[in-house]
Amino acid sequence: MADYHVLIIGGGATGAALAHDLALRGLRVTLVERHEVTSGTTGRHHGLLHSGARYAVKDQESARECIEENRILRRIAPGSFELNDGLFVAITEEDLAYAEAFLEGCAACGIPTKVLTPEEALRREPLLNPEVKLAVQVPDGTMDAMRLPLRFLATAKHNGAVIKPWTEVLALEVRNGAVTGARVRDHTSGREYTIGADIVVNAAGPWSGKIAAMAGVEVPVVPSPGVMVAVWGRLCNMVVNRLHPAGDGDIIVPQRALSIIGTSSWVVEDPDDLQMPEEHIWRMMEEGSKLIPAVRRAGMRAAWAAARPLVGERGAQSGRELSRTFKCFDHADEGVEGFVTITGGKATTARAMAEAAGDVVVRKLGLEAPCRTREVVLLPHWAYYME
Amino acid sequence: MAEREVTFRVFRYKQGDPAPHYDTFTLRVDDRTTVLEALQTIRRDLDPTLMLRHSCHHASCGTCGMRVNGREVLACVTRVADLGPKITVEPLQNAPLVTDLVVDMGPFYARFVQPGRPFVRASEALPQAEPPGWLIAEGRDPQSGLAGYERFENCIECGLCTSACPVMASDPAYFGPAALAAAWRVVEEPRGRDPQAALRWADDEHGCWRCHLAFECSEVCPSAVDPGRQIMRLRRRLLFGR
Amino acid sequence: MSERNAFPKRRWTAWFAPWRRRPGYWAFVLHRVTGLGLVLYLGLHLYVLRLLLRGPEAWDAFIRLAKSPPFLALDAVLFAGVLYHALNGVRVTLLALDIGVARQRQGFWWVLGLSVALAVAGLVAFILR
Repeated sequence: MADYHVLIIGGGATGAALAHDLALRGLRVTLVERHEVTSGTTGRHHGLLHSGARYAVKDQESARECIEENRILRRIAPGSFELNDGLFVAITEEDLAYAEAFLEGCAACGIPTKVLTPEEALRREPLLNPEVKLAVQVPDGTMDAMRLPLRFLATAKHNGAVIKPWTEVLALEVRNGAVTGARVRDHTSGREYTIGADIVVNAAGPWSGKIAAMAGVEVPVVPSPGVMVAVWGRLCNMVVNRLHPAGDGDIIVPQRALSIIGTSSWVVEDPDDLQMPEEHIWRMMEEGSKLIPAVRRAGMRAAWAAARPLVGERGAQSGRELSRTFKCFDHADEGVEGFVTITGGKATTARAMAEAAGDVVVRKLGLEAPCRTREVVLLPHWAYYME
Repeated sequence: MAEREVTFRVFRYKQGDPAPHYDTFTLRVDDRTTVLEALQTIRRDLDPTLMLRHSCHHASCGTCGMRVNGREVLACVTRVADLGPKITVEPLQNAPLVTDLVVDMGPFYARFVQPGRPFVRASEALPQAEPPGWLIAEGRDPQSGLAGYERFENCIECGLCTSACPVMASDPAYFGPAALAAAWRVVEEPRGRDPQAALRWADDEHGCWRCHLAFECSEVCPSAVDPGRQIMRLRRRLLFGR
Repeated sequence: MSERNAFPKRRWTAWFAPWRRRPGYWAFVLHRVTGLGLVLYLGLHLYVLRLLLRGPEAWDAFIRLAKSPPFLALDAVLFAGVLYHALNGVRVTLLALDIGVARQRQGFWWVLGLSVALAVAGLVAFILR
């Protein structure tokens, strides 16, 4: 009998939510993360608790997922968000013309909206571009990008999941066409050992391709980085978005005493080598200042990039046209048993990704164990650090 | 963009080693490169066993705290160009060492959670904003003190203050600047917690009275918490009730 | 994680790490060093008083030593230490009452400046006398 029912590879939001999901279903779970948990893509995002409104026109599947998860997260992780709503702001006539389609899309996806006059918008957010023509209020929020996934890990840990950071997968153990575990190195000591599991779940985000290759399969995940810039000053309390079809630098998220402007998009081969183009940083400042002119005066605190795991076909040039939904791949379809990949998605939908992957896992194990993560309130993030 | 060569002297330790040692790495950096980016490059290209904590890369998560040339900083917002040609990187002090630049934050949080610090706190000085409609729609009463905008605490639990504190270095029982500042926040804005309990907790020989006013905590805090000031406020409140 | 970690071992000198520290820290270090110095001095002083028990010759021998230049130099150092410790003590007392905390760095420079000035003034007055 294997040490664990499930070995999860990857300690980002996806792995964290899945460890929590499976632990609640009563499985013996372990998670390995080669570095610090959330240090891959998850920790670096701007912290948007998505209302889904950004996708309401072009990607309604994604938008519906987002608003549903938005509501669930508010319930299961109280205290982890600044629930100040968000604004979609029309600056130009072109933006204004987009408003109708935007409002229709939100209505179709069940995203509540409230239209504000320029005066009302400026009253709520005094630093908005005074040329604002219209604003739509939506239930966006701000999360702490690291601390929310930590709550999933904390709860999983306290429900018996074994979380192993600093533990890198060197190779997958494959026997008779089935993945039976992984050979890992514990970087705190250099010790190598094997972890056996009935099912191995690949939740390595943009590194999913590398892990999948260890089992001789391919996953269509494209590492697609984007730049974000943090400027000094809490220039807004609500999330401020540009009311237009998605483009670079069209969102500003408050994070404590900073304002985060994002993002852009390009494609790389290696998620450890992001080759951040400096030009993108200036583009963020430029676009951000169209939403909030004070950005131009604000000093830069940090500029960084992280690779989104976009699901799609290889060969995409910019990465933005790919769908943002997540995908769960059962590699038994390709002749490799005991191996599942869950990839794609965004921070707001991690729990939903975990539910889908969890359903696949228990089905493969032949167990009856429903998902319970919609209702269980998560432990506080600091519980992760306590025994 | 000007490029130059920099030498990094990095503290290394693996469980089971008889003693720590330092490894030297030479790297090409530019004006923009942060210490975190440099360490990530070292880890990727020169030594994949170098372990360090990092997450948000913009001074929000507090995980990349370390000592650079002897001073506590967040590596993600510390530019290599602002330091000399030789840079020494070491883990935070006054926390148990796990490996290399990674420390165990368990004891830090163990002190921290006692005063029951709030995680969300109403923002100051936004009189013109009315509560978002969703507060009401989700069943939250604007009269409960949540009216107005919500805001995370400034403190990002990075541990820089605890590392820099000379009293923390001598006295493992000291509550430490981070936890004491958190206690003051409960006193100043209870939000459902008991400010008297927080004051009683701080009123301890290992609490706010143990501080020797070196103020290094406030000097190194990357998030404008000013823990030294909050400890003095605790003292004043305990002495005068005001 | 309780089985982890033998490092770093806590050392009783761990509070002394002056590299790249700011004025407030130097104030603390000097305060502690002068404080320890004063305790040491007090011990020595009390010990010396025992000499009174040995009669006038022993005492006079000690007084001759006490008037020697090296000893007087040490006295000057002592005086400076007392001044600094007293003045910084006032600074620390005020700060501990949450008075002037925002200007604690400047406070240190004033204390140091005054200590040096008064110590020099005292030394000059003594030499002139």
